[in-house]
Amino acid sequence: MTAVPRFRTAVLLMVVTAAVASPSVATAQPGSLPVDLPDGPAKDGFDLTRFSTVGNGVFETFHVERTEPLAIALQDGRVTGDTRVLVIQTAAGPLAFLRDQMVFHHIAQGRAADRDWMATF
Amino acid sequence: MPRFENVGLYDGLFVMQDDETRTLWNHITGEALYGPHVGRTLGPMGNMLQMSAAQALAGDQAIQVAISNWPYIAGGRRRGAADGRAAVSTLGDRFGPENPNARLTPAFVDTLGTEDARLPRMTMGLGIVTDATTRFYATESIHERGALIDDLDGRQILVFVDRTTFTPAAVFVNASSATLDRRDVRLDTGGVVRDGLLYDADGTRADVDRPQQFFTRWYGFALTFPDPEIFGR
Repeated sequence: MTAVPRFRTAVLLMVVTAAVASPSVATAQPGSLPVDLPDGPAKDGFDLTRFSTVGNGVFETFHVERTEPLAIALQDGRVTGDTRVLVIQTAAGPLAFLRDQMVFHHIAQGRAADRDWMATF
Repeated sequence: MPRFENVGLYDGLFVMQDDETRTLWNHITGEALYGPHVGRTLGPMGNMLQMSAAQALAGDQAIQVAISNWPYIAGGRRRGAADGRAAVSTLGDRFGPENPNARLTPAFVDTLGTEDARLPRMTMGLGIVTDATTRFYATESIHERGALIDDLDGRQILVFVDRTTFTPAAVFVNASSATLDRRDVRLDTGGVVRDGLLYDADGTRADVDRPQQFFTRWYGFALTFPDPEIFGR
């Protein structure tokens, strides 16, 4: 088994997914890609029959390889003062995402100061 | 670190999968749900705070930002290199916790477990989680009081709705009462919360300590953290 390094999750529960909804639960939902599942095991209480592939393949994780000062993005007008952002704390300090982009990505992950981080939305 | 993608729904919430073992993960708690990593948890959890860019910069002048190539709107202009599916950027407004009229479609409902019926499914609010306590503050309850002080595991927390983003938030304070004064929350100690920042009575910026919190809908919070306390009941 491949070890998953410990990393910080910065998570905010927010339901924004109804727009990609399909009408029923199945292994591969219309408009969604099938999911390659392992043979288990399941966490106690997890009911695989309630898992739906709705939305699979629709969103793209934001793999962050470059950040920049928010002040610079504001200065050159790519972000304005009222732009809604989501802020997490990484090992290297606070990091902001544009909310409207995270609505699409849902997951952002990267590494800062030798520590992995993940943000979900 | 393996790469993670959203691959579907469970309990009406997104489920992540890693690209190495195909394990399914809860995106809120970081718990492995199904696959070789069951029994493990990503983490620890941290807060993701909603604010305006101006608030973020006021909080820390050195804050970094990560901007992808996905289209977004800033200053009334469309920006970003990608094209095509820009309409997705409105989903947050349409289906996020800010929208009181959002409804779950059948595809979401079919994935729900046994719901906690004490509150309506789509009730918006702030969920707070500690090792000892899980508690839900309905946004309406916060609005009714303007701002409130509550006890959380022996410490006082201020719960309020940020006047810039209209999202609820909680911070630890040393105060016994709070009142909403236009955009400010005034504490009986003389302190004030302005634009999400905490100031002492003498106007000095104070460090902000926050409990783990989620701006969420009731169904998702109660299915993820079963049998939570409900503020005011």
